[in-house]
Amino acid sequence: MSDDTGTGTRTRGRGFVDSLVRSRGERNVLGGVAVVAVGILVLTALGVVRLPFLLSLLSLAGMYVLLTLGLNVQWGYAGLINFSVAAFWGIGAYSAALLSAPNSPLGLGLNPIVGFVAAIVVSAILAVFIGIPTLRLREDYLAIASLGLAEVVRRIILNEEQWTAGSSGISGIPRLLEGLPLTQNATNLAVVVVLIGLVYAFLRRVHRSPWGRVLRTIRSDEDLAKALGKDTYAYKMQAFVLGSIIMAIAGAFYVHVNLYIDPSDLIPLTTFYIWVAVILGGTGSNRGAVLGAATVIAIREGTRFLNDVQAFASLGLNLAPLRLLFVGLLIILVVRLRPEGLLPPRDELIWPGARREEGEE
Amino acid sequence: MTLLVPLQGLNPVQFLVNGLVFSSVIVLASIGLSLVYSIADFANFAHGDTMTVGAFGALAAAGVLAPAMEGILVFGFPVWMFAALFVGMALAAVVVVATEFVIYRPLDTGSIELLITSIGVALAYRAVIFLGFGTDASRYGVPRAGPIPEIRETLNLAVTPRQVVAVVSAIVLVGALHVLLQYTTLGRKMRATADDPTLARVSGIRTREVIIAMWVIGGVLAAAGGVFLGLETLVRPRMGFDILLIVFAAVILGGIGSVYGAMLGGLVIGMLYELTPLFSMVGIPIGNEYAEAVAFVIMVVILLVRPQGIAGDAT
Repeated sequence: MSDDTGTGTRTRGRGFVDSLVRSRGERNVLGGVAVVAVGILVLTALGVVRLPFLLSLLSLAGMYVLLTLGLNVQWGYAGLINFSVAAFWGIGAYSAALLSAPNSPLGLGLNPIVGFVAAIVVSAILAVFIGIPTLRLREDYLAIASLGLAEVVRRIILNEEQWTAGSSGISGIPRLLEGLPLTQNATNLAVVVVLIGLVYAFLRRVHRSPWGRVLRTIRSDEDLAKALGKDTYAYKMQAFVLGSIIMAIAGAFYVHVNLYIDPSDLIPLTTFYIWVAVILGGTGSNRGAVLGAATVIAIREGTRFLNDVQAFASLGLNLAPLRLLFVGLLIILVVRLRPEGLLPPRDELIWPGARREEGEE
Repeated sequence: MTLLVPLQGLNPVQFLVNGLVFSSVIVLASIGLSLVYSIADFANFAHGDTMTVGAFGALAAAGVLAPAMEGILVFGFPVWMFAALFVGMALAAVVVVATEFVIYRPLDTGSIELLITSIGVALAYRAVIFLGFGTDASRYGVPRAGPIPEIRETLNLAVTPRQVVAVVSAIVLVGALHVLLQYTTLGRKMRATADDPTLARVSGIRTREVIIAMWVIGGVLAAAGGVFLGLETLVRPRMGFDILLIVFAAVILGGIGSVYGAMLGGLVIGMLYELTPLFSMVGIPIGNEYAEAVAFVIMVVILLVRPQGIAGDAT
């Protein structure tokens, strides 16, 4: 590093850009993202896309980013296969809805903060419960058990009407931070951006920490981690609980935006959307998780417009199965053609300081 | 999804009869899942949807064959249903072998990547069925026959001809598989590959052919299970996926990778599943809507107590 502050800032500035863009391939990917983003902004400025719609779409995308970050902790960091993303999301959503809505079966009408805390606590307990029998065994047991868990959670919420209002759902959920001098869409977006910022910063920090290094060792060779004296079960459990909590936070956020929840929102397809987002974005990469979630939301919302296109509607195809087919093929194709994803983690994991020294010597 | 036949003067053995029918379905399904586990070494999440493919293949065939073979009965059962069953089995075999060639074989990755790919395959199968048949439930249109009168009078049990067909067919198929595995060269090759693929390959076994055989057998049996399930209940696009967890529970109970363990596990889980209503009779109020949850709880208990299963040694 130079003593000159001017060049110092510039180096730091370049360091920041370098920390985002690391290869030509990534530059193309990020360039594409920038083009799309500018395109959407231009469309909004021209009035083609209405601003409130854009804001609510971005809030939804933000929720997907949270879910993807959560699954990325489990699958990306620790190699844990969780097929009950929708269940943890639903647990968070229902915890928040039941405690904060005045006309829920519990009828408490508490502050949303309490709902968020409950979402965190309940999802953590559920994660420990499912982790105890499965995390000591080979990876696929968690996959199987979590697939079952998702169904069981959905059934319980559907059938225990005295607690969860069953299929009639819960409405009257309060909005977030109504006192702010913003439109509600803008407030929601601000909240999710803050949530993502906190989660992202936290994950970036822990992933580079010794804890994250142990997890990466476990993912690539669990026997090695054991041989080094690490309690791999405890580490996997921590990663699983952490990821599940993040998913539950996403669910809690969702009910305060949507203001209504019913068990049909807990469909397994949500889980597979998030899986596509993680493996498409780049397994183990937080930047990839953000990009993957944005791509998936674009697919989900984009296909919705297809019905409005006259030529497509005249084919008389049902969109829901096409979307299912698309998600299925996307999973197969990503594993086959680009298993590392669009933005693979590579040296995202190395402290910036460490890399700079290496480059200068 | 209960197979319960309403009956006055409830005979507890009736539950065992119903359980046996459901067990036949689970046993047929769990064999294929277990074969893929032991030979190709991954958890095949598309197996449930393979059952659905078979069931819908038979449904399509039944639509064509039923008018052509109207009125011909075998054991009091329309012969076109047997023909439709074979079409469904053949279709499922073709589909899984094609999937192996197009999707699994070019993938040179570990078992976890294969597992994730199989989820994609499962979604794709189901989506195609949705596109072809819509989302509604259908029936094969086998005329509803009441319980066989002789059995009803002598044993006070309601047993329908289709239940007999399902159980007998399952026994025949499982017996055929046993002969194949134990007394033929292909069976020996399959067992050798399951034990140690590398050693099998070094000994000159063409493991690729073994893998094709594995898919054919698994697909055929899964399709049979799917058709019998569709006969007893309804033919639904989600039927296979909904039952997959129970099939996994059976395979884990039997011990992952053990075909005979899977048969035993399927028998036990199928029985337990149908015995769920008995729990409420002894005072534990579990409604039938929680039958899946019961399978799940059984699985979690197995994982805690004996994760290697009844017959397995893998951890």
